[in-house]
Amino acid sequence: MRGRAPSRKQFLFPASTTKGDRSRWDGISWLRVAAWLFCASVIATPLSAIAFQAFSGNHLPLLLQGDVLEAGLNSLVSAGLSATGAVLIGMALALLLDRTDLPGARILRIFMLTPLLVPPFVGAIAWLGIAGPAGPVNRFWSDIFGAPLWNIYGGDGVVFLLTVHSYPIAYLIIGAALRRVPSDLEQLARIGGAGAWTAVRHVTIPLMKPALLSAFTLTLVSNLADFGIPSIIGLPERYVTLSTLVYRYIQSGTVDAPLEVVSTIGLLLLVLAAIAVIADTLVSRRKLELDGGTTITVPLRLGRAKPAIALTTWTTGLALTALPIFALTTQALLPAPGVPLTWENLTLDSFRRALGSPSTATGAINSIVLSVGAGIICAIVGLTIGTLITRLRSRDNAILSGIALLPQAIPGLVLAVGWLIIAPQLGLFNTPWLILCAYVMAFLAMVVQSVNAPLRSTPLALEEAARLAGASRARALFDISWRLAAPAAITGGVLVMLTAVRELTISVLLVAPGTQTIGVLIFNLQQAGAYNAASALSLIITVIGLAGLGLTARGIRA
Amino acid sequence: MSSIALDSVGLRFADGTRGLDNIDLTIADGEFVALVGPSGSGKTTLLRTIAGFIAPTNGGIRIGGELVAGDKTFVQPEHRRLGMVFQQHAIWPHWDVAGNVGYSLRLAKQPRQARAARVAEVLELVGLAGMEKRNPSTLSGGQRQRVALARALAASPRALLLDEALSALDEPLRARLRLELRTLTRAMGLTVVHVTHDRDEALALADRVVVLDHGRIQQVGTPEQLVTEPGQPFVARFLSDATVIPGKVADRRFTAADHVLRLTRDQIDGSHVDGSGSIAILPGNIRLHPAAGTGPHGIVVSSLFGREGSDVVVTWDGIDFRCLVPGRRPAVGEKFSIEIAHALYYPDDTTRSSEGPSAELSVSPRAEESETIAKEPMQKRAR
Repeated sequence: MRGRAPSRKQFLFPASTTKGDRSRWDGISWLRVAAWLFCASVIATPLSAIAFQAFSGNHLPLLLQGDVLEAGLNSLVSAGLSATGAVLIGMALALLLDRTDLPGARILRIFMLTPLLVPPFVGAIAWLGIAGPAGPVNRFWSDIFGAPLWNIYGGDGVVFLLTVHSYPIAYLIIGAALRRVPSDLEQLARIGGAGAWTAVRHVTIPLMKPALLSAFTLTLVSNLADFGIPSIIGLPERYVTLSTLVYRYIQSGTVDAPLEVVSTIGLLLLVLAAIAVIADTLVSRRKLELDGGTTITVPLRLGRAKPAIALTTWTTGLALTALPIFALTTQALLPAPGVPLTWENLTLDSFRRALGSPSTATGAINSIVLSVGAGIICAIVGLTIGTLITRLRSRDNAILSGIALLPQAIPGLVLAVGWLIIAPQLGLFNTPWLILCAYVMAFLAMVVQSVNAPLRSTPLALEEAARLAGASRARALFDISWRLAAPAAITGGVLVMLTAVRELTISVLLVAPGTQTIGVLIFNLQQAGAYNAASALSLIITVIGLAGLGLTARGIRA
Repeated sequence: MSSIALDSVGLRFADGTRGLDNIDLTIADGEFVALVGPSGSGKTTLLRTIAGFIAPTNGGIRIGGELVAGDKTFVQPEHRRLGMVFQQHAIWPHWDVAGNVGYSLRLAKQPRQARAARVAEVLELVGLAGMEKRNPSTLSGGQRQRVALARALAASPRALLLDEALSALDEPLRARLRLELRTLTRAMGLTVVHVTHDRDEALALADRVVVLDHGRIQQVGTPEQLVTEPGQPFVARFLSDATVIPGKVADRRFTAADHVLRLTRDQIDGSHVDGSGSIAILPGNIRLHPAAGTGPHGIVVSSLFGREGSDVVVTWDGIDFRCLVPGRRPAVGEKFSIEIAHALYYPDDTTRSSEGPSAELSVSPRAEESETIAKEPMQKRAR
């Protein structure tokens, strides 16, 4: 949506204002109509349904009632604190890993990004194995000092885990921005008399401000409605957030007209998210033009502090990333929680039990069908919308792009509620297609964004050359831009697949008998106290996820 | 090959700015025409209007006699049967050389064999014989531009449009391609419209050069005409770096406004009607003499070495005179008195601004308006 080159405007295909265009109702126009219909039905309908439901009865007093108020406050505080923490860690990582001579930065970067590949609820299960009340650390501490060191259950644990699971995204955004800051600017400051770190502080960091804000908004919105972490870590200590509250309202009839109440909560979340996004857009509108840097970046020297910084970063990094996977593995291999970790105690029973159950097979098939379906639909529709909004001039481009990207800024919980409301009318109630629709809505933006970059950077002359060679508007678009962006669309589609297969927040609200996904299955195992089976399944999908992303990354490079 | 005829073509952008203003231009079958002008003059806009990427708001365009843009008609670019080469070559990166060159033939549903034969033929023409299977990313800049040229020629277009086609190339290669382009287009009898910001390239390649400014044609003529008889002060300044000074003619002499310069009739070519006007002095028509004593003199503010002489700027009484100085290269800060060998005089034309320039392939349009124009100084000026 941002960074459109204004100079290109007048050179885009003739606008619809000039004469001779009246007959311009060609294949492209049909494509545009189709894209609009798709966005209207899959994105606009559920959202308006929420608004409609919310206003159909006055439930505002209920929002001010103890439960909701407390949950809302908890959501806001945990999301705000974790987003702040994520941005701080992300910035520190970006500077340390990308700009200094930290030893082993390359390997550490891979480690630091792994929480991105682990679904948050899996992370929660893993961390329970480390810092849970019965975890090894706390038992060891209790034996010596008589009291546990730190119990992860509760609000502080929720904030901690949300931070751990959102800093990689923050780091990716901030790191990309850091690479775009030409190092010439920094070097000019050095010539002007600034020391290396002063130059970073005075030149680089101020230029990264929009990225810092974007990272904050994105992590805030996604943390605002995460379900897995607060339900696994928060609920045992009665730390309720909006997402767990909504889940409770829908699962059990504790309130009258649960859908209306939940819609009101959803609308509130929507408004919060909208405020964050608008603030972000307003700030980034005052965008700084940065020329591409041509100078090679010279890494900053850490100097005498190097061993200390290296030790701290590596220890923290490994503790945050390798430790939970290790914990998950041991839990998966032990027969029950609390059994000491010795060779004799290791068993594959948990795997056998988790994989042998018929519900696992159903869950796996459901998850695979739904995520592959969502990946394919998102890839095709995303490529179409991306092409329409980047390669052709039309007055509705901004709105179309806005609608397609909107769900990204909306908590998954809200999207799920929207589908829950309209499901009975569509006849989708209690079918897996409901989950598919919600997945497509939630993840379409991923593909649109991943195709936007290559589409925008494709020179317009490529299509114009095709036009002069005799191709119609639609044909030129299809033969040139479309084909050039296809790899990005496939990558985006695979990303959608990998995200959807491990999704919990949306699935848990839309699940019906027989349609449960693998994420819901793990969650239910965990809730039922089958910790080790849950760990075993978590480990399997984490490994599959890592392998899948590794293959995708290799595919992109090749 | 076909002719291209533009009949009072005008273009107004959506924001109200004028892109093209009353363009009349006829390009003959097989003619090589270059469009030049400062940036923003409308030369690329004009080319893209011919190509069909921009629809003119008024006027008509005919290619080979067929109306392609007019009051009721607008032929889409894909149906105009033109070839075009872009500045950044615009080679499709997902196809090999043959895929690029043969695309228009594929769209025309030519059988595979005929296609391959034609691709081979065109590639040989541009000096890339046997390169069919090459991946564009393995080609050099010059080779890519040749592929782009081959692609434009493959479907035997009615005319070839070049949009700064050589500008992205480095100098020695550019000169070579310029030469090859000239030979090739002559041999094939191609109608070519070539947009460039490089004045020398335009003068070197074209049969006729069109000088544009503010979306209007300022002058059309052969390279010789434009250099020796610029029709307007703007053309003299743009093509030949002439120094333009406003003033007035009275009592058979020119008096510069706000400047000490005075010229006698012998020094001025052009109309001698009394009234206000401007003179344009070509760099080669200025002689520098070492300043003696306290007489009127100028100071050298810049002096660049050139093959035919130094490109020197002398500031004299607030005006910068651009001079071409053969022999010893003057140093910055040196003082010289300035002698004007010849200047071209252009009376201010009140009708011009409202009517727009007449853009026929004429010499100076004023020639018809004024009978007192001195014909003989034109020849006298030859060095």
